Amino acid sequence: MPTLPLTVITDPLCHRHDTGGNGHPEDPARLTVIAGRLGQSPLAPMITTMPPRPAERQWLTTVHSEEYLYRFEETTLAGKSYLDHPDNQLCFESYEAALLSAGAGLAAIDLLEGGATSRAFCCARPPGHHAERNLALGFCFLNNAAVAARYWQQAHGRRKVMIVDWDAHHGNGIQSAFEEDPEVFYLSLHEHPTWSFPGTGWKEETGLGAGKGTTCNIPLPPGSDDAAVMKAIAEQVEPALSRFVPEALVICAGFDGHVADDMSGLSYTTALYRQLGHCAARWAERYCRGKVLTLLEGGYELNSLAASVEMYLTGLATPEP
Amino acid sequence: MFIARYMTTPALAIPQEMTIPAARELLQSRHFRHLPVVDDTGKLIGMITDRDLRSAYPSSVLSGETIKTCLAELDKTPVSAIMTRSFFTVSPSSTLDDALILLDRERVGALPVLDEGGKVVGIFSIRDLIKAYRTLFGLGERGSAMIVVEDDGNPKPLTRISRVLEEHRIRFTRLIRKDKDDALDKATIYLRVNTYNLSAVRNALKEAGFNVTIPTITLKPE
Repeated sequence: MPTLPLTVITDPLCHRHDTGGNGHPEDPARLTVIAGRLGQSPLAPMITTMPPRPAERQWLTTVHSEEYLYRFEETTLAGKSYLDHPDNQLCFESYEAALLSAGAGLAAIDLLEGGATSRAFCCARPPGHHAERNLALGFCFLNNAAVAARYWQQAHGRRKVMIVDWDAHHGNGIQSAFEEDPEVFYLSLHEHPTWSFPGTGWKEETGLGAGKGTTCNIPLPPGSDDAAVMKAIAEQVEPALSRFVPEALVICAGFDGHVADDMSGLSYTTALYRQLGHCAARWAERYCRGKVLTLLEGGYELNSLAASVEMYLTGLATPEP
Repeated sequence: MFIARYMTTPALAIPQEMTIPAARELLQSRHFRHLPVVDDTGKLIGMITDRDLRSAYPSSVLSGETIKTCLAELDKTPVSAIMTRSFFTVSPSSTLDDALILLDRERVGALPVLDEGGKVVGIFSIRDLIKAYRTLFGLGERGSAMIVVEDDGNPKPLTRISRVLEEHRIRFTRLIRKDKDDALDKATIYLRVNTYNLSAVRNALKEAGFNVTIPTITLKPE
């Protein structure tokens, strides 16, 4: 079976973002199990592991305020245990880890644009899609996807960026960053906000002002399965892509919609993630010169997380049957 | 739950002598749908709605001449000629429930809010009611999630839930229990938590003996 080379961007410091134990779902073990699984995988020979770089301030401030970045850094240095809400546990090294998690996307984009790879997966934490301009939320501190989209536009001149987010939860932070921007399309498939954290991502929200039409929320009822996702992809996601015609593609890959993950009421199987990998590859080939950037968001049940990441990367790197 | 907190103020009331075109312009410019009409002493004597005003205008299928005559007539007609003289009111200390019952029973779109002296101090519309309940139920409150719990039938379910959540320092903002009825085959508890750590919520509820359910609905095929 011919397989495309995969680049995984990761760093040991991302493991040192300590969320305090006590069963906190966003645990360093998430990265350990993924690395273990990929090491044993038939994909292993195709994987090149690369380090990230810390995201530079000039790119962070395209999304976050100076005041927030300062407050975040101060909170870690002062030895406090959380930022903005007890959910967002942190430690002394969390700011450094978050810079690397956001910088992973930037390093990956340089590799994609330089022709070194066409499939890059940032296996980093903390995750990002709930983080707002001035607010840490839902275990997220820096909005990795939003920073990556701005970098892609401003450092590499790819104006039209599409972000497809199939984490089980709505990426409120990404939506607010680009709601008024016609050049970044944010599309999210998530569990319906009536039931799900963070209670945002209504179907009726389609963007504001000049950005009208470049936000698309697809809320799925609790219990939704693989078929529901594939139906939404065929009927809503693919038409949105062909209308927008992106020049760059970011996938926010959360694996918490898995039936075994109790952080959502969705009922996806591991097999869905292979199909999602095929979709991302197909869109990349069709619109983005074969290049796609994938960022790890959620996914907290360790066994299904590792298996689903492997399945997704398999779909991304191998041809569709 | 008091109307005073949710009504639209200041109340824009018009004198009974105001002409129909003037009232129409005022409604359109302010995007209102209801106007209280008051007498010289500020006492409420009627209500005028955008619908009352629309029906006062001549139909566009009439001849140009007839329309002209009608419009000239309207220019001289005060709102008192077409206002509704039977109306329903609430006071600032009425509750959202009072307003809901009145709006529902009387099929009106808004209720003037009167102080003890009968002076109009605000207006409370169906829109205000929707906004009030939206806030009360925490709809769209960023950073929360709703958990559905089966009532296990044992005594003091709400006490047990709040105790275990507080013990685990899980923030929650709403706890609602709905009895079994035609629409619901089991007594159900709705819990709005202010955290993303839903695993911790589920574990705490399990510890208190509750079963967290995934809300589903079976729709009959069309």
